[in-house]
Amino acid sequence: MALLRVLKKGAAAAALSYKQLLVIWVVSLIMILFVSFPLRVMLNAVFGNSMAVMRLTDGFDAGLLGDVGKPFLYLISAASTGGLLLLLAGFLLYTFFAGGLFASYTTAWGGLKMTAFIRESARNFLPFLKVNLLILLIIAGYTLIVLGIPVAARMALAKGSMPEGGSMILFYSIWLLGLPLWLFVADASRRWIAATGSDKAFRAMGAGFRALKERFWVSYGTVLLILIINALFIFISFWYLACSIPEKGGLIFLFLIVTQIMFFIRLFMKAWRYASVCEAVR
Amino acid sequence: MKRFVIAVCLSLPLALAGQVIVDTPLSARLTGYDIDAILEPDSHVVSGDMRAWWVNNSAQPVRDVMMHMYLNAFSSNKSTFARGGRWSPAGDDGWGWVRIESMVDAKGQDLTDSMRYVSPDDGNEYDRTVLQVVLPEPVQPGDTLVLKISFESKLPSPIVRTGYADDFHFVAQWFPKFGVYETAGTRDRESDGWNCHQFHPSSEFYSNHSVYNVTVKLPEEYVVGSGGMFMEELALGEGMKKVVWRAEDIVDFAWTAWPGYQVMTRNWRDVDITFLASEKGIRKADQQFEAVIYALEYLDDRVGPYPWPHLTFVDPPMSGQGAGGMEYTTLFTTSGGGLFPSFIRMPEMVTIHEFGHAYFMGILASNEFEEPWIDEGINSYWEQRIVDDSYGDGYGLLRLPFIKLSDADQGRMVYVSSRSQTISTNDLPSWMYPHGTYSMMSYNKAATWLHTLEGIITTETMDNVFREYYRRWAFRHPSGRDFIAVVNDVVRSEHGNRFGEDMNWFFDQVLYGHEVCDYMVSGITSNKIRSYSGVIDGDSVTYVKSDRKSDTLYLSRVSLERPGGLILPVEVLIGFDDGSEIIETWDGKAAWKDFEYTGTSKAVWVKVDPDDKIDLDVNRVNNSWSSDQEFPAARRMAKKFIFLMQIMISLITV
Ligand SMILES: [Zn+2]
Repeated sequence: MALLRVLKKGAAAAALSYKQLLVIWVVSLIMILFVSFPLRVMLNAVFGNSMAVMRLTDGFDAGLLGDVGKPFLYLISAASTGGLLLLLAGFLLYTFFAGGLFASYTTAWGGLKMTAFIRESARNFLPFLKVNLLILLIIAGYTLIVLGIPVAARMALAKGSMPEGGSMILFYSIWLLGLPLWLFVADASRRWIAATGSDKAFRAMGAGFRALKERFWVSYGTVLLILIINALFIFISFWYLACSIPEKGGLIFLFLIVTQIMFFIRLFMKAWRYASVCEAVR
Repeated sequence: MKRFVIAVCLSLPLALAGQVIVDTPLSARLTGYDIDAILEPDSHVVSGDMRAWWVNNSAQPVRDVMMHMYLNAFSSNKSTFARGGRWSPAGDDGWGWVRIESMVDAKGQDLTDSMRYVSPDDGNEYDRTVLQVVLPEPVQPGDTLVLKISFESKLPSPIVRTGYADDFHFVAQWFPKFGVYETAGTRDRESDGWNCHQFHPSSEFYSNHSVYNVTVKLPEEYVVGSGGMFMEELALGEGMKKVVWRAEDIVDFAWTAWPGYQVMTRNWRDVDITFLASEKGIRKADQQFEAVIYALEYLDDRVGPYPWPHLTFVDPPMSGQGAGGMEYTTLFTTSGGGLFPSFIRMPEMVTIHEFGHAYFMGILASNEFEEPWIDEGINSYWEQRIVDDSYGDGYGLLRLPFIKLSDADQGRMVYVSSRSQTISTNDLPSWMYPHGTYSMMSYNKAATWLHTLEGIITTETMDNVFREYYRRWAFRHPSGRDFIAVVNDVVRSEHGNRFGEDMNWFFDQVLYGHEVCDYMVSGITSNKIRSYSGVIDGDSVTYVKSDRKSDTLYLSRVSLERPGGLILPVEVLIGFDDGSEIIETWDGKAAWKDFEYTGTSKAVWVKVDPDDKIDLDVNRVNNSWSSDQEFPAARRMAKKFIFLMQIMISLITV
């Protein structure tokens, strides 16, 4: 089975690049700490020595809002602004490191030296950024067509009320089944840039679409499978994030360790997709 | 009491003419209405022929009657309602009004020339919501005045409580309706007279318990519901039908007609419950019935029986949500249109609230205009208890894995986060609350201090207060003072002088005063002291060695302050580093208080009002203090934030 071979080889390549993944993990963690630490200090300033924080023990008790008043709103706005900035910075950071990862999976088969990894990341940054933005635009347009139009049409028919969940499942499924196509094109385009050293984003996209046409079922199947596994994993991550309520110092530390391992696995699975696509196109 | 008996006897022939719903009259039945109406759905006009009667239960002849003409609130944008609520019509067809085409008394004397509009509340000459009719001859004590009135009611749009949206009609406040003739002594009144207020944006209810016989003719495709008991439906031919209802001992009669209604029924004990909703709304029928049955059981158990065998409630369609969240005793409207996800219990909360009004204002017919707190405040208090008890304390309104909100906290939050907490006392008439504080004061502040009262006198006593309130005042007109008298009597009989002579000190502050309640911990200090006790003996000082083994003693001082002007007794729980705890009480009278402890352990934390009994405290964050600032919740939130951001970043990058 070509598909399984691609997935296996991709996983092996991703595993070989564990050092690079560790670098990505550390850098992104430090970046987030830059925001979360001041938030922590603000939280302490809002509550001072008050034991009211304990009302946050089993989830966020919105009843606290009235008591804390304005400072709480500042805290929430700081957290959301900080979060948005982090998303932007994170987007750029990941785009940057994707350059090094794709270089690893195309040229040296997983074994790039760290300096080469950083150099390749820097070299590929701009064309990767263009490809990423283009693909995001395509996905946005695709979402609008597949999900937006049916919703709008049905809302118009049903006089402003939202269509019900049941019939929307069909459209969600269509949307999900189409998503691997765009992700494959994004990956294959970036592989092309990494492999040829070109910085032409549109030509890269062209190469990406061509690659999709050439080995359609293997390409599509690879990304679809990895996407499903990723989606399940992200679902589990969110579930754990929401439902795990460690009470004591040690357990909270354990929570940190578990979530960081989960995040590393998530990084690995992304790298797995990159490497598998490189393998499929090779 | 005597007067009551006379009145009942005199009205017997009328009231008992068709005694069908309750075995014996529940109220004095001083007023009644027989209405024959036709709905013309295209013009949104209801024309009616009405026979209305009123019994003079006073000892004096009465020379005039006052009637509510509620729908005229929508006849001009200068009406008190339109100005206060910023209502304006949706196009030329949006105006609403009620016109009296003829009015004659029992002798056939035409009274139309002796009608005039008055504005007792604000003197607004453009307001036509109160009609005064001077009678050709006075109504003698014990006599019954019968008026035959032909009227035309045009429903307004957009709907504010009453009105139409396309073919949806909610017909409330729709007929000329008597005010309440109060005798001296009723609700602290000094002399007899009519109590009939204009239609205000924030209040509309004060009525006698009445008997209604209502017949409505309308196109047969319309599905109908009302506050009356369904008697019969007849096909009239030519696509028309006639529906007959009867209601006994309720304070208002409203009905609704819409071809799109879906209908479901359930039973609770002997009560037939009918639910009308849109196709979407009816899908929430299970949750809605569950909510209304929670409320029925809760209030039946803790306040008094629900005496009618019928109850109808409506979730209006989206276009008619302006009619949602209203109360007509045996008919009420909820809201939500079936659109809320199940973890937000907003529609259930509205259902429980509006049903609660069957008690607070329906059975215990207080004056919402003059004392909105005793209507909306008490009802919100019960709504919050029912919602939080039925759906889980702390989770009543919102239940998600990571965020929760109780209904009581939601109400309290509106009060404690308002910047106008001290703007007025809590006993103002509805239209007198300044700066839009009516609902914050009447619903939220009042419910918050009722929870506080419960915290002080215990839940059990609070329930007994309401049982006694029901026993004394059901189907009568209690005032705030009457309620306080019940509180005083019940608290005295259950707790003696534990809280003082009476509870007036409480109501003087929370209801008739405007101070806020705030207790705060300013800190804890612990100093080592020498383990030798000094003894001063004349001029010489000798030291006596302590016989304890450890030589370290601590003097801990717990410092409390009362920044708020409101004074309530409060409990204080102090924790020591050896795990022991001490509970203290502070009468709160001084502006500050220190508790001092000497011992081998240090005081390390303190909580004022540890059981959160004093809901009125506007800032609970400063109620506690701990020397250990490392709270697990804060640490956990930081870790969760990190993971959330990591996952989100990985999601938005391809
Ligand atoms: Zn209410």
